[in-house]
Amino acid sequence: MRNKKVTGIERLKVRYGRMFALPWTIGLLLFFLVPLVESIAYAFSDVSLVNDDMLSFAGLKHFKYLLQEDPNFLDNMAEAVTSFVFSLPIIVALSLIFALILNQKFRGRLFARAVFFLPVIIATGVVMKFVTGEALNSGAALSTAMGETESYSGISFDQLLINLGLPQSVTELLADYIARIFNLVWSCGIQILLFVAGMQSIPDQLYEVSKIEGATAWEEFWFVTFPMLGNVIFLVLIYTTVDLFTAFDNPIMTQAYDLVSKNSVYDRSSAILWGYFVIVGIIGSLILFVYNRLLMKKWN
Amino acid sequence: MKSNKAQYRRYTRSGWGNFFYFFFLIIFGLFSVLPIIYTICTSLKPLEEILIFPPRFFVTRPTFENYAALPKLLSNLKVPLSRYVFNSFFVSIITTVLHLFIASMAAFVLAKLKFKGSKALFMIIQFALLYNTYTLAIPQYVIFSETRIIDTYWVYILPYLPSTLGVFLMKQFIDSSIPDALLEAGRIDGAGFFRIYWQIAFPIMRPAWLTLTLFAFRDLWSMQPQGTIFSEELKMLPNIMSTISSGGIARSGSAMAATVILLIPPITIYMLTQGSVMQTMGSAGIKE
Repeated sequence: MRNKKVTGIERLKVRYGRMFALPWTIGLLLFFLVPLVESIAYAFSDVSLVNDDMLSFAGLKHFKYLLQEDPNFLDNMAEAVTSFVFSLPIIVALSLIFALILNQKFRGRLFARAVFFLPVIIATGVVMKFVTGEALNSGAALSTAMGETESYSGISFDQLLINLGLPQSVTELLADYIARIFNLVWSCGIQILLFVAGMQSIPDQLYEVSKIEGATAWEEFWFVTFPMLGNVIFLVLIYTTVDLFTAFDNPIMTQAYDLVSKNSVYDRSSAILWGYFVIVGIIGSLILFVYNRLLMKKWN
Repeated sequence: MKSNKAQYRRYTRSGWGNFFYFFFLIIFGLFSVLPIIYTICTSLKPLEEILIFPPRFFVTRPTFENYAALPKLLSNLKVPLSRYVFNSFFVSIITTVLHLFIASMAAFVLAKLKFKGSKALFMIIQFALLYNTYTLAIPQYVIFSETRIIDTYWVYILPYLPSTLGVFLMKQFIDSSIPDALLEAGRIDGAGFFRIYWQIAFPIMRPAWLTLTLFAFRDLWSMQPQGTIFSEELKMLPNIMSTISSGGIARSGSAMAATVILLIPPITIYMLTQGSVMQTMGSAGIKE
């Protein structure tokens, strides 16, 4: 793979190559890289929407404020990080289990896959807000995005559970758990797909050998399937990290969103998000480090 | 993935194991579809059932009156309903097609050519995948206003075009399924760069672009930009939802009916692209 020198179309003019990538590169520059740099600048400046010169340098002011004075930031951060640390392994494990089952031969397999992929198709935008209502979204972000809070009703577990006639505290607890499981299952769609696709690319011979050697299903999983999924697991870990990090019901995201939408405070909002990005980045790389050290080493 | 020979494994051999597996699958599968079923049920409920508290999950006397009420509810929109429908389809289709071309061209070059900055570009793609675009909303807004695309169709279309997921998936797919030799053969036969891309690479990339179609359409269909579109005649279908639901709880049946209708296009596209999605995702995990 390294030896790209022999690439067949190498002799084709690089000029064309550049031209081909140009539209996309310009777009990326304009709508991603420039805003990215700007948002870093925001985090270290005072942003004023009234003055002509929007930015004036403020150093670490916003970060200091967040760490020392802001009443919610540290709590929100702790909550976001805790839920991230718990959710990540659960989501990855759940997706792997679902994928293992969905990769087997049974009647209605395609239908079952569609069922688990369904959240991916509808899990964006306004439609999703109507489908799931507020059960999923305790945060204020979505209701402000919607404009009206009271006027729509999606599925509400607490209300539906009243039908069971249980005491109120039990109902609330149950509704809370259901909403959580629900959130987890709805975060698994892409991951399941990645796993199933990965499993299908594992060569059959490996399974034949393990069968001849008399491996049990359990051993087959740990010595064939799991190691062969190495890259896919890596991909799923990354994907899930990003997904959890950017979820709208995440308290940090809510805080940053509210600052912008309600108070038009852009500088501190950028500082929050960059601070969060750095912390999640550190945790993410820690997880990947452990993953590489402990698991990959074992196989090599 | 081309053949159907024993690719699906049986991990369990005992009946109880199977039972446990499928019990597990069904329980969690229910979680997955519950909101959809509830939405459909509610959309079929007559008013008396909608007003019941606590709400019931299933509908006892299904009726289509919520659907029938939609035309009347939507007749007093500021612009005719057809305009929203047109906008939704126009923006979703145009943007998806443009995105496909732009992303596949970039991915093709990134996968098959080496030039200065190509490595850096791929690094940026991977970083962008990790980064949440929401953070960029404000600086993006500044750029929108500087390029004067606010309150035009462009503000839907342009920012979506460079989305990086598409380029990433396509590049991985090309790496794993288009051998250099094939392109070389095309070159020897006298095809130019564009022809090689268009007549050789593009058709092979079909599963990848079908997958992208699904993702792009999904994102665009439900898009509701904040603060960048003001003209009512440029807004898309999700906007009518707030008009319907502003009627309060009594209208929630109709809101659900509209939701069900809005879900039809993305789900249809999923059913059409299902096999390709699986194939593309299979190449996503391949390194280098």
